[in-house]
Amino acid sequence: MAVKVQVRDLHKSYGKTEVLKGLDLDVQDNEVLCMIGPSGSGKSTFLRCLTHLETPTKGQIIINGHDLSDPQTNINTVRENIGMVFQHFNLFPHLTVLQNITLAPVQLKKETPEQAEQTARKLLAQVGLADKADVMPTSLSGGQQQRVAIARTLAMHPQIMLFDEPTSALDPEMVGDVLAIMKQLAQDGMTMIVVTHEMGFAKEVADQVVFMADGLIQEQGKPADLFNHPKSPRLQDFLNKVINI
Amino acid sequence: MRKWQVMVVTLLVTLGGWFGFSVTAHADADYTIATDTTFAPFEFQVKGGQYRGIDIDLLKAIAKKEHFTYQLKALSFNAAVQQLSANQVDGVIAGMNITSAREATFDFSKPYYTSGVVMAVAQKSPIETMANLKGKTVALKTGTAGATYAKSVQAKYGFKIKYFNDSNNMYNDVKVGNSVACFEDYPVMSYGIKNGIPLKIVSKQHDAGDYGFAVKKGKNAKLLRQFNAGLAAIKADGTYDKIINHYLHAKESTLTGETANSRTFVGLFTQNLGTIGNGLWMTLKLTVVAIILATILGLILGVLGVMPGKVGPAISSTIIYIFRGMPLMVLAFFIYIGFPDLIGHGFKIPAFVAGLITLMLNEGAYTGAFVKGGFQAVDKGQMEAARSLGLPYWAAMRKVVMPQGIRIMIPSFINQFIITLKDTSILSVIGIVELTQTGTLIIARNFEGFKIWLMIAMIYLIIITLLTWLSNWVQRRIN
Ligand SMILES: Nc1ncnc2c1ncn2[C@@H]1O[C@H](COP(=O)(O)OP(=O)(O)OP(=O)(O)O)[C@@H](O)[C@H]1O
Ligand SMILES: [Mg+2]
Repeated sequence: MAVKVQVRDLHKSYGKTEVLKGLDLDVQDNEVLCMIGPSGSGKSTFLRCLTHLETPTKGQIIINGHDLSDPQTNINTVRENIGMVFQHFNLFPHLTVLQNITLAPVQLKKETPEQAEQTARKLLAQVGLADKADVMPTSLSGGQQQRVAIARTLAMHPQIMLFDEPTSALDPEMVGDVLAIMKQLAQDGMTMIVVTHEMGFAKEVADQVVFMADGLIQEQGKPADLFNHPKSPRLQDFLNKVINI
Repeated sequence: MRKWQVMVVTLLVTLGGWFGFSVTAHADADYTIATDTTFAPFEFQVKGGQYRGIDIDLLKAIAKKEHFTYQLKALSFNAAVQQLSANQVDGVIAGMNITSAREATFDFSKPYYTSGVVMAVAQKSPIETMANLKGKTVALKTGTAGATYAKSVQAKYGFKIKYFNDSNNMYNDVKVGNSVACFEDYPVMSYGIKNGIPLKIVSKQHDAGDYGFAVKKGKNAKLLRQFNAGLAAIKADGTYDKIINHYLHAKESTLTGETANSRTFVGLFTQNLGTIGNGLWMTLKLTVVAIILATILGLILGVLGVMPGKVGPAISSTIIYIFRGMPLMVLAFFIYIGFPDLIGHGFKIPAFVAGLITLMLNEGAYTGAFVKGGFQAVDKGQMEAARSLGLPYWAAMRKVVMPQGIRIMIPSFINQFIITLKDTSILSVIGIVELTQTGTLIIARNFEGFKIWLMIAMIYLIIITLLTWLSNWVQRRIN
């Protein structure tokens, strides 16, 4: 198996506060990695470093063989291979659902407008929103918006997908639809890094689970081991709290 | 081409046409000669926007005798003199006294008229001699012989001085009692009083001086020769006397075609419809072109302002700081008079173009500030989502951030349009005859301050109302 994402000694500080304090992580091809941890532990910051929305203070990130810290690397090319789904969807409110999806492939000349539209319609069908192509995003429910956002990311045919709490802004009855699509993606062999509070999803889908706290990876392993036999008191404490909710 | 591209191209072609036109219009005549706007009976505007008066008619008669052509440029007296020394015009005829100070910078023709300074006070004023002026305020018009004389006796009589840029405001200040007296050339004052200015002359003529036609020292010797020769010729054939008599012994009404019963609001309006229409058209032209230029500049400044890195934002905020901080009038003078002075070599900027540049810089700076704010108000997640899809910065800006930011800015744009419309009135200081200047000119002739200013104010309000309706409609369409 090829290594898709390789992180070594990753540090990130905002001014004097160090948010990531030296992370090491490997994600293999076709692997699904779930990341859990308390609020403020640096999970979002970690994902944002992977797409270079944040510049690491120190350390190395290699995505698909491209070293992000190398000035020779074209970050836009790397980003085409790594899709990001945000907690608040971040759909473009001034464009229709279809235009949201076709914008990047057409702008980057990956596809002609006609091809892009075809792909977009196929992807919308895949996420169960074939009939919503021409509406504006604001008229959709949160769950529908997040599914459009996933379709938008998929339209760039990424090899790796990052999800930052994709369901935590959703009403409970919407969560299932989004998770089902993510599960399907995992089954189709997409390499995924998912920050989530959905323990059920992590147990069922993840190949590997990482527990983060205080800017460090505290524990890492197969879901069964991690959830059933947590070693550190931090994780035991965290799991107790999550399960009691 | 997309719709907006077609629009931009059309616009640039139209603009280019205008500039080209204003340049060729200058090149047509042999000379450009500046005059004052409100100095009856030497120069004043009559119905239809034409200038008449002793100076104007003399110049016309002389040009005819000497076979030269000229373009007349009516400015305030000060602007006319400044432009002559800045080489922006070839000559000035504006009831200008020949003084030794002026002879240092200008060459004068032979005197074409001799006049002295008198003191005038309100009709019911108790002031009878200059000795009564102690501690009181006197109104003067900058750069006139009256002002020079008054300054020379200020210490002796102990009065305070208040300066004005045109005669009417000076008369009005005396009329309403803010100042107790003004000093003015005799023919000007007596012509004005005959035409309804409620003042009276209480002194004899002092400091009699000669009026001359001026060119810049050492330049335009030929024009000066032609003027002198022409003057001699029209004196010899009686034309000169005819002109002087026509103005100094006539009621304004016989000169302008206005009759006393056309002094009602409606009467004045219909009488001056053409002049007001021309002024309004100039105001609208300035407003529309300035808004377009300012919007382009503002967008550039706004985009620079939110660019990553330090250089773009630094340039943007410096430009915004400078042009937002400078009073519009100072900027107008700087561009129209200061800038050509700096460049030298007879470099000229047509007033219309200078006015446009002024408005573009000032309104563009304000626009830049709110455009920047608008872009910053777009959720950061939008840029991040676009960038994570692999769009380069400019594509993300153009396709995602700008369309949303501009929507946020629409109310500010509308506000700025209205401000621009009002700000065009300030450009009257560089001699652009827009709506406000039109008002000044009409009043210079008929002294109907209240009715004419009411008329002008109403026109501005009507246009602003229409503009507000239009923009509300646009806003509804967009949302
Ligand atoms: N731009 C920033 N400037 C300063 N501090 C920041 C910035 N972004 C994040 N932080 C801080 O970094 C820490 C980690 O933030 P991060 O968003 O990565 O946490 P998280 O694990 O994703 O939390 P949550 O579960 O609440 O999303 C927090 O304490 C946050 O306040
Ligand atoms: Mg987070």
